[in-house]
Amino acid sequence: MANFNIDAKKDMTYDAIVIGSGISGGWAAKELCENGLKTLVLERGRLVEHVKDYPTMMDDPWDSELRGSLTPELKEKHKVGMRSGFIGMDTEHFHANDLENPYTEVKPFMWVRAHQMGGRSILWGKQCYRFSDLDFEANAKDGYGVDWPIRYNDLAPWYTHVEKYAGISGEAMGLPHLPDSHFLPAMELNCVEKHVKSRIEKEFQGRHMIIGRVAHLTEPLNGRGVCQYRNRCSRGCPYGAYFSSNAVTLPAANATGNLTIRPYSIVQSVIYDEQKGKATGVRIIDAETSEVVEYYAKIIFCNASTLSTTQILLNSTSDRFPNGLGNDSGELGHNLMDHTYRVGAMGIVDGFEDEYYKGRRPNGIYIPRYVNLDEKTKTDKFLRGFGYQGSGGRAGWGAGSNSEDFGGDFKDSLMKPGPWEFFITGFAECLPYHENHVYLDKNNLDKWGQPTLAIDCEFKENEKAMNRQIRIDAKEMLERAGLKDIVDFDNEHEPGFGIHEMGTARMGRDPKTSVLNATNQVHACKNVFVTDGACMTSSSCVNPSLTYMALTARAANHAVSELKKNNL
Amino acid sequence: MNRRNALRKTALMAGSAMAAPSLFSLLQSCKQQNRLEWEPLFFSEDQARFISAFVDTILPRTDTPGGLDVKTDIFLDLVIAKTYDPKAQQNMASEIDKFNAETKASFGKVFAELSEEDKKAVLKKAEAETAKFNPKVWGTAVGDQKPVGFYRSLKSMVLWGYFTSEEIGKNHLSYDPIPGEFRGCIPLSEVGNTWSL
Repeated sequence: MANFNIDAKKDMTYDAIVIGSGISGGWAAKELCENGLKTLVLERGRLVEHVKDYPTMMDDPWDSELRGSLTPELKEKHKVGMRSGFIGMDTEHFHANDLENPYTEVKPFMWVRAHQMGGRSILWGKQCYRFSDLDFEANAKDGYGVDWPIRYNDLAPWYTHVEKYAGISGEAMGLPHLPDSHFLPAMELNCVEKHVKSRIEKEFQGRHMIIGRVAHLTEPLNGRGVCQYRNRCSRGCPYGAYFSSNAVTLPAANATGNLTIRPYSIVQSVIYDEQKGKATGVRIIDAETSEVVEYYAKIIFCNASTLSTTQILLNSTSDRFPNGLGNDSGELGHNLMDHTYRVGAMGIVDGFEDEYYKGRRPNGIYIPRYVNLDEKTKTDKFLRGFGYQGSGGRAGWGAGSNSEDFGGDFKDSLMKPGPWEFFITGFAECLPYHENHVYLDKNNLDKWGQPTLAIDCEFKENEKAMNRQIRIDAKEMLERAGLKDIVDFDNEHEPGFGIHEMGTARMGRDPKTSVLNATNQVHACKNVFVTDGACMTSSSCVNPSLTYMALTARAANHAVSELKKNNL
Repeated sequence: MNRRNALRKTALMAGSAMAAPSLFSLLQSCKQQNRLEWEPLFFSEDQARFISAFVDTILPRTDTPGGLDVKTDIFLDLVIAKTYDPKAQQNMASEIDKFNAETKASFGKVFAELSEEDKKAVLKKAEAETAKFNPKVWGTAVGDQKPVGFYRSLKSMVLWGYFTSEEIGKNHLSYDPIPGEFRGCIPLSEVGNTWSL
């Protein structure tokens, strides 16, 4: 990928502009470029080339002077991201600078950002699950939010399309509420996970425990290597074994000769032409020089990540759109969602002392949703549902911290694996509430003089009721599976912690109550597409990235076909 | 003499950190000296002596290297110097001073000068008096974590410094940086010790 054209100044006009190069932006670039469109990808951060720019990918703990600990300066630089517990020296360079990118937490909200080519696709958890009609029909059925303008059948072929190229490993189950993907061979459960699975499935009719479905190659695909089970994914994978824009979609886009990527390009706004009645381009601020530059194209794809996309649209004002591009409904910025996730249980599994495993599997188990699927599983305690992720494994030397022992025998005993531990933690769907919203704060400008975002969002009674049930059920499942020393927990947290922020420019059937139509076009400005998490009308309880990929591929191909018909 | 240099040479010769008996007694004699053999970045000399004695009591040398053999004390000094903010550094220093003051009140000596038996007695008492870490899920502790206090946090740091050192990680735990495959259920005897990564 050394031949990226980063000297974009020569050419200000393209067929398509894609704002952002993360999971959805990479897909937009690939689909548009492969359909012959000259495409400009605008990335607000630096270039990150696959393999070449993964400086820590081979490091052992002792290769880092401070063994992964951050200095006080770096802790301050990542003061928001630090709250996630996921930042160390090995990945610090893939997290945004929180000091240069302030936002206001009207209520607590952890906003994790990754400002470089590839965005959070380098860092993501890679769990991939299709939404089902249980999800697409949910709003219509219980009246929260507005109806999705699409159903599962509209998206199913596009799920298959992206899965075949991204590479998703998993096991087909035939569950109607968790449709199977086009799968590569599944990863294996370990002894204790197999044991707990059989106990839970025997004790609880209708509950399943499956291996996680993940965007990791278990067979070679398009020149990418298979997972080597190092579990160092978020540093960047030298084998290209997990899906990231850097390893997968951007190289494919680049191979067409139609891709230009411009780093250090902060999109200030989308340019709307009142005469033409459509968008003509975007205005950027060069992050390094603060120079303002305009680029022009027939279509604009907004893939800056949920809240950044909405921030750009809110900042794109004109006589026609005084409150932000496409904001006729007043819903732009509203209906922000995330998943709750730090509620669950853990315990010890007796036995299996002579068993172990080889490899650090970057994946765990999944317990698909089992409540509110139908009349039989309906509860009156809450709407919608939740699933669990988790895993089992043997305790390591870390267990020594709590041991009451010390000394030579203690030290040598820690060289041997400890007891088998197993945990599950729930992920609950969050309802779309109009009052959970973001807005531009024109009194707080960033270092480029741009208005920052204020986030006013909270979990409400339905999410809390689900969390209570997640905890009760988790404990009960582990008890009936025969675990001991069970600890159940509810570490209630602010939204944003799931790093699954969704909504704020939702799709819908009615321009009066939604921002986007069924093909992700801004209702009143059809050559602007939003296909990142901002477009989501409801949140399901499953990880959303796969759905962003499918929606993006679908919208991009629709855009190409509309362009050919001169409809845009 | 510099016992750490000597030890490094032995490790090179033997292919492990096990010391030959003659060298072992030589090291013991070095240990009797009261002069600090390294220059701390953060600790005072007294505090450095405390840290070394603490590390040595928690993880003494057996037929595998001890905490001092892999320089856990020197590493902790580095970590505290470079990753703690001034307030946390001040807190660490005063906790050590307090710990020493308490042993001095009970035994008439600071921790590093106590007999092995008295050191163990002091740590046993600390074990009984401190809260434990809550379990963690994906990097964050679950439930309501009570402060674990100086003793257990330091013990935890000592284990971290020791088990993530190159010598232990590569030569004593089971080291496999690129497993290449995942096998979910194999006999422990095929692996031996805990995986280091």
